[in-house]
Amino acid sequence: MQQTSILTIDSLHKTYGDVAVLKDITLTMEPGEFLVLVGPSGCGKSTLLSCISGLTEITSGAIGIAGKDRTHDEPADRDIAMVFQSYALFPNMSVARNIGFGLEVRKVAEAEKKQKVAEVAELLKIAQLLERKPAELSGGQRQRVAMGRALVRDPKLFLFDEPLSNLDAKLRVTMRTEIKRIHQTTGASIVYVTHDQIEAMTLASRIVVMKDGVIQQIGTPQEIYNTPVNAFVADFMGAPSMNLMTAQVARDGDRIRIEIPAADGVPVELFDYGTPPERLPDGHGNVLVGLRPEAMRDAAQMNGALNNRHIQTASCLLDVVEPAGADTYAVINLGGKEAVARLSADADVQAGERTEIAFDLSKISYFDMDSGVRL
Amino acid sequence: MHGRRQTKEKWILLAPAILVLALITLIPLANTVWLSFTDTKISALPVPVHFIGLENFIYALTDPDFQAALYRTLYFTIVSVGLEGILGVAVAVLLNQEFRGRTLLRALIILPWAVPTIVNAVAWRLIYHPDYGALNSLLYQIGLISDYRSWIGDPMTAMNMVILADVWKNFPLVAYVALAALQTVPGDLNKAAAVEGAGPWKRFVSITLPWIAGPLMVVMVLRTIEAFRVFDIVYVMTGGGPADSTKTASFYVYQEYFNYLRSGSGASYAVLVAGISAVLILAYYSASKRQTAGAAA
Amino acid sequence: MRRSLSQTLVLYGCAALLAVFTLAPLLWLVVMSISAPTDLTEVPLRWIPSQVDFSRYASLLSLEGGNGERFLSALRNSLLTAGGATAAALLLAIPAAYAFSRRRASMVLLFAFLATIMMPPITYILPLYATFSTFGMLNHTITLVIVYTAMLLPFATWLMKANIDVLPLEVEQAAFMEGASTPYTIREVVLPLALPAIAATAMLSFLVAWDEFFYALIFTNDLSAKTLPVAIADFSAGRVTDYGVIASVGVLATLPPAILAIAFQKFIVSGLVAGSVKG
Repeated sequence: MQQTSILTIDSLHKTYGDVAVLKDITLTMEPGEFLVLVGPSGCGKSTLLSCISGLTEITSGAIGIAGKDRTHDEPADRDIAMVFQSYALFPNMSVARNIGFGLEVRKVAEAEKKQKVAEVAELLKIAQLLERKPAELSGGQRQRVAMGRALVRDPKLFLFDEPLSNLDAKLRVTMRTEIKRIHQTTGASIVYVTHDQIEAMTLASRIVVMKDGVIQQIGTPQEIYNTPVNAFVADFMGAPSMNLMTAQVARDGDRIRIEIPAADGVPVELFDYGTPPERLPDGHGNVLVGLRPEAMRDAAQMNGALNNRHIQTASCLLDVVEPAGADTYAVINLGGKEAVARLSADADVQAGERTEIAFDLSKISYFDMDSGVRL
Repeated sequence: MHGRRQTKEKWILLAPAILVLALITLIPLANTVWLSFTDTKISALPVPVHFIGLENFIYALTDPDFQAALYRTLYFTIVSVGLEGILGVAVAVLLNQEFRGRTLLRALIILPWAVPTIVNAVAWRLIYHPDYGALNSLLYQIGLISDYRSWIGDPMTAMNMVILADVWKNFPLVAYVALAALQTVPGDLNKAAAVEGAGPWKRFVSITLPWIAGPLMVVMVLRTIEAFRVFDIVYVMTGGGPADSTKTASFYVYQEYFNYLRSGSGASYAVLVAGISAVLILAYYSASKRQTAGAAA
Repeated sequence: MRRSLSQTLVLYGCAALLAVFTLAPLLWLVVMSISAPTDLTEVPLRWIPSQVDFSRYASLLSLEGGNGERFLSALRNSLLTAGGATAAALLLAIPAAYAFSRRRASMVLLFAFLATIMMPPITYILPLYATFSTFGMLNHTITLVIVYTAMLLPFATWLMKANIDVLPLEVEQAAFMEGASTPYTIREVVLPLALPAIAATAMLSFLVAWDEFFYALIFTNDLSAKTLPVAIADFSAGRVTDYGVIASVGVLATLPPAILAIAFQKFIVSGLVAGSVKG
């Protein structure tokens, strides 16, 4: 028996006047999924969440939640709960009343309400705060109360709108773990908006990358990371982001010859033995080649791996060297871009010197120069 | 909130307010306009009412007494609001300086505003009293007048005396608005101008005044609207006299209605006064809109 | 910038002049109210009372004697009228303000609201008079409450709208998400947040109603409904030979608004400035 999808969005459009904010959004989400909407500010991710919540009315298309058409339903009727960026706690009410507000509105019996609030408070470790007012809580505690308010009603779908963006860096990591723990213990279906791609990578079971109101790619974190569908996704996801270098590419027998011009005039020449991408231009042509920093290591540390034919070395001039604790990042001027290589922490390198860099070509991506589309 | 429900809810929320305003203002206004085309009189007996077209208006517009009342109202309005503007800005500039007692003085000038209009009128009436008034006594004792005068019993001075009382009560509003605006004038602007060699008066005229002109304009138009319908202070201080010298337009209509019981003709005066008010109200609308737009920019 | 001695003198001179101009009429009213009747009819005036006489206040505040009854019933009527109208106006203004702030009601409509109170009352008075007369409603406090409610409503709506505008929208959205109706959200979420604004609006509304004269003059004619302004006008126009009585009534009628104005200065001044400038 096929499970009913928890959320289906079918060619959703949203325009404000002449401005199209969301263009032809279609996606499906299964129960228990943790779907993260991510993209730069202005990409439409928050508007999309708002459309799902019903706080924003859509221009055309359809939204279904747990098998029911909810396109024109009020937020309260959609069987969803939302955690707001500002937490949106009711300042005049105690924590207990905040959490139990939805039950209060639905006229749930006092005893049952009390018990449910207590259970949720227990789960979120805020049982001792129930009598306090929001103003007396820390940022992290407010965040927990906001989640409690969402959890207590046990809705079909949870919406999170950049819930961690108001917390300091350290607390953000703690709460991220907390959200993940709650997802795992409750099995809740969550749509989560963030502009922080690390949050997206760590939390999501699937990621929706958006730009300019258009979905760029939907996939698991691994798919998004390893096979980005275009240069934008490659650049946006991952920190530091994928190096996108302009290169001359040509078929050379069963391999592909890649020549990346360097600032000091000595081009880097590499050979890709992998399956050639379908749409690679036949003759010589400029394409964008993408390699993540961890696919560009210092050859001195590679030892045996150098026997692998996918791993090739080339001498590169290091522009800048940035030690960052566990790793040392080196900036190399390649293909007109500042490419970043991830060297080991104890790499003995100096800016302005040449060093042997090992390129892992099994991780290479090719993109069209103009459109940025994956080849 | 979804479109249709939002619209429905909007009107439900507005309905009680709109209902009350319609009953107490809109319908009476329409009724007044209707009356102005009839020969209705207030009477205990039912009298037939006739539609007489523009007759009332033709009469009103050629009635020298009504014209005189309009001119008096205009005089009252222009002089009152003008003085309130000048005094208000002067007081605001003063209260924007640093000196000891400034906070106290800023607090004190709210008192004239807090005095009820009628108490203000009564108090000044006592002050102007021809025999026992404080004004006569004071001026006499410091030698400015040799004989007691009947300040509000003399058609030459009565209106100006009413104006003085009105200005005393209403300058604080203008002063507070001007002061609030002055506090947003960047100090650097004045310093820069001073470095350029601009004197205090030049700085005031070319920097400060343009800066506060927007809000000042709005409050002055608002005061103009209020001054134009002046009634209370005249009713208590002079009753429109002496020799009609303080009979303003509102007072004129009041008498036409409740002394002479000519509602049709009174209504035509009322409509004319309302028409002038409407023009002023539109002026207020555009001034405040420009001000809001300016503040948002 | 440092001031020269002459500038300092001019500055303090102006400040003193302003203080005198502002306070002298009020002080004189107070002095008159406590001077012996004979002091007030001396020519030239005796500025300092020969003896301090509080008897007028005593008689105004007691039900014995005509003046006391007139004053106290007017005080009662004023409190009921202004208080009732303020409460009613807020009750209507809050939902309307919410519609203007959060349900995209047209600003032109709000301006039309404001325009109704800017019109001279003579525009409305006769039809109102005729209607109230027909229904036997003249000379009733409730009639003034109804008229004052309409008079206070536009400004109260405007002020509340400006205050609701700055409340956090997400909190209300959260309430809607949780399933609360709009009335429930207004009552349980918006109103508690807007409490200071409601207090300021109520205060300014009360003061405006306390001050109103024209409608009260036309619609009331005896002790059962006449408000303080009308009673004061009566005292002033009547055959009261002791000007000190008139002055005492004036002082008593001024005390409540003056105390409010001084005690809640910041509130009131910012409300006034915003109310007159932002339109």
